[in-house]
Amino acid sequence: MDGKVFDGLKVAEFAWVIVGPAASRYLAEHGATVVKIESHKRLDTLRGTSPFANNKPTVDSSMAFGRHNPNKYSVSIDLQHPHGQKLAWKLIQWADIVTESFSPGTMEKWGLGYEDVRKLRPEIIYLSSSMQGRGGPHSGYAGYGMNAVNLCGFTEVSGWRDKRPAAPHGAYTDYISTRFGALALISALDYRRRTGKGQWIEQSQFETSLHFFAPPIMDYQINGRIMERDGNRYPEAAPHGVFPCKGNDNWIAIAVLNEEQWRNFCQAIDQPHLAERKEYATLPQRKKNEDELEKMAADWTRSLMLEEAEALLQRAGVPSHVVARPKDVYEDIQLKDRGYFVPMNHPVMGRQSYEPQSSFILSKTPRRINRPSPCLGEHNEFVFKNLLGMNDEEIAGHIADGSITTELPGQFKVSM
Amino acid sequence: MYHQEAESALPPYRILDLTEGGCMLGGRLLADLGADVIMIEPPGGSPSRTGPYYKNIIDPEKSLFWWAYNANKRGITLDVAQAEGRKLFKDLVLKADAVLECFEPGYLNHLKLGYADLCEIKPDIVLTSITPFGQNGPKEHYQASDLTIWASGAYLYACGNPDRAPTWIGFPQAGLFGGAEGAIGTMTAIWHRNNTGEGQYVDVSMQESALSPNLNVLQMWDVSGVEFHRLGGALYVPSTGVQQPIYFECRDGYVMILIQGGNEPFISSSARLVKWMEEEDMAPEWLVKLNWKLDYDATTMGQPIADRVGEAVERFTLTRTKAELYEEGAIKRQILIAPVSNTRDISEDLQLKSRNYWEKLEHADLDDSIVYCGPFIRMSDTPLKYQRRAPLRGEHNDEIFGEELGISREKLNSLKEKGII
Repeated sequence: MDGKVFDGLKVAEFAWVIVGPAASRYLAEHGATVVKIESHKRLDTLRGTSPFANNKPTVDSSMAFGRHNPNKYSVSIDLQHPHGQKLAWKLIQWADIVTESFSPGTMEKWGLGYEDVRKLRPEIIYLSSSMQGRGGPHSGYAGYGMNAVNLCGFTEVSGWRDKRPAAPHGAYTDYISTRFGALALISALDYRRRTGKGQWIEQSQFETSLHFFAPPIMDYQINGRIMERDGNRYPEAAPHGVFPCKGNDNWIAIAVLNEEQWRNFCQAIDQPHLAERKEYATLPQRKKNEDELEKMAADWTRSLMLEEAEALLQRAGVPSHVVARPKDVYEDIQLKDRGYFVPMNHPVMGRQSYEPQSSFILSKTPRRINRPSPCLGEHNEFVFKNLLGMNDEEIAGHIADGSITTELPGQFKVSM
Repeated sequence: MYHQEAESALPPYRILDLTEGGCMLGGRLLADLGADVIMIEPPGGSPSRTGPYYKNIIDPEKSLFWWAYNANKRGITLDVAQAEGRKLFKDLVLKADAVLECFEPGYLNHLKLGYADLCEIKPDIVLTSITPFGQNGPKEHYQASDLTIWASGAYLYACGNPDRAPTWIGFPQAGLFGGAEGAIGTMTAIWHRNNTGEGQYVDVSMQESALSPNLNVLQMWDVSGVEFHRLGGALYVPSTGVQQPIYFECRDGYVMILIQGGNEPFISSSARLVKWMEEEDMAPEWLVKLNWKLDYDATTMGQPIADRVGEAVERFTLTRTKAELYEEGAIKRQILIAPVSNTRDISEDLQLKSRNYWEKLEHADLDDSIVYCGPFIRMSDTPLKYQRRAPLRGEHNDEIFGEELGISREKLNSLKEKGII
């Protein structure tokens, strides 16, 4: 026992891109063995996504893939090949957990769907995650993370009243779905420990992500009010926004949530007399005069350097933080203190910084990144031989018939 | 749909929930999975009973925010800052598996209710603290709010229009991420405790979870030295600097159409859109002739063609509603379209209805039943259940203090008078 939580737990990961792979990372960071089932014939989208180390796009040099897959092993299997499906079965026999995120029906087509698996492995925990779930008129809807952020309402409430919605960047809801998936997996494990029973966990990323927007949905269903975008305003605070500092595109976020913070804010901007003014004394009054307050805040921040503004506000006791740029987080003193970025040597990419998936540190069994993201098929030998007990001859046979893939069918192409 | 008699995943566990705001989601998730989660509010009521309100009646008992994130929990009031309150809290800890909290770092230690104190009475307890920056470090005492935490995670910088301040998502998200992480951390620690008998401390940083949605933005800087600039939703091609418009106005709002060329499935999707426009006599000849593989390849095209395509497409989308573009365009014609849904569109969504997503809970005190977002995930053998609406202030004081801890009615009354419960 080396003190890790999920030591001995085995995950066969058919899931790709973000939602499933990020969910299993919670387990991998706490000791589970996760084997990614990939293929040279159907590359994980992230392997074709920039940035590429040394600006050399290859199948093994994307840190978009790297970011989402440290701690894992990779095998390359052609699941369309009958012998590839046999290998997949061996991995399923080995595993405690199976994850997949293909369009509904794909695993079934290969004979690897939950109903098939359950017959042989009733104790398996099997997670299927798709954009809109099984069944229903939109089940086959093409699942891009960018679609879900629109369906879930997040785009509509992002941006300014006088402009088009400004969609949250990237595949926002993937990062919500991931967390609910991980929690369901651990809960299913807990249930299995007590009862011996496995089960099927079926996730519609759309349904999951609505929980991050539940009160505004209830507000429509009960009160008929449709939530609209309104910059950075928030009904429970004023001023509440993002204000410019000296320099180009430098911003600081400030939130004044109550009367005490309002007094502190007046101190910070060196206008303590404002705290006495009746028209700003309570939240409803500050909301009424919010335009003025925002102008006041911006007039003050504009003449300051970012760090200066943050220091003055923090000293006075006002919630505030610079709007960090990507480069800032690599220098963030707090993240350094928590050991957030973990440098690892990758065989192709060289030294790279990895991020943990768990945003928590357990005092006795802390999260760990102990291997870099895998190259495609890097662990074929280790997995088939050491984990599954196959011999060299069998493995060579699979390579010869193409069910273990070893080469890209064409030239490597960047997808994003 | 589930059978009420089906088992749940987590019934053996009792969780004491002292959190506020979005962090309350963590306990809600565990309660949905069947854990016995007891929400502990200060006697005056939680500050998280905020708007919007049921039928717009400003009343802490009618807070939709409170309802959404505390359904399935029981609720008591208790002032843990007072000595007698602390004693009662410790009595509750004796029967609990985990405690969730989001006070400022050090506050529970100051009350002598920190991890070490709780371990003295219950050595295998799991204590989960959810804070903006974690328990230790140079920013542990930073004054923070959901927006400022979002700012610290750099995702805020990637969102919004290029010519204005970055913008958040209008409904606060950082606390919800913190709550979800708290739930995962708690169950990870409970799994470890079940293996080893050893409890532990779970230290959640909301800043770290706010870094998560950045996709490849951080790595673009770290690996390639490229700073991502927000584009308000357009697609940006770093190698050429071209911005491809993908958001279009329609009759009743906006839709996203992933109009791209170069690769599949985009070529076919874009061609299908042009065909539809052609059928409606809205495709100019140059657009019909456009070769999506060669003329609209992100790595070689220029900005003028992107703008020209965008304008032509928007002339078409302006003649249709979101629902028409979604149902006919995306579902029937398999074009990569997504409606920019608002809360009404979500409420009327056909897929959610077809999967019986929405759940109703009785609010007997209001003589009403209220529709809630349904199960966050479907579990075949341990379905998530909707058992009770969020607790009223102190609703289960008698049940928990009286029946479970065996405190007499006189004593309860006296505690009430002293403002402890």
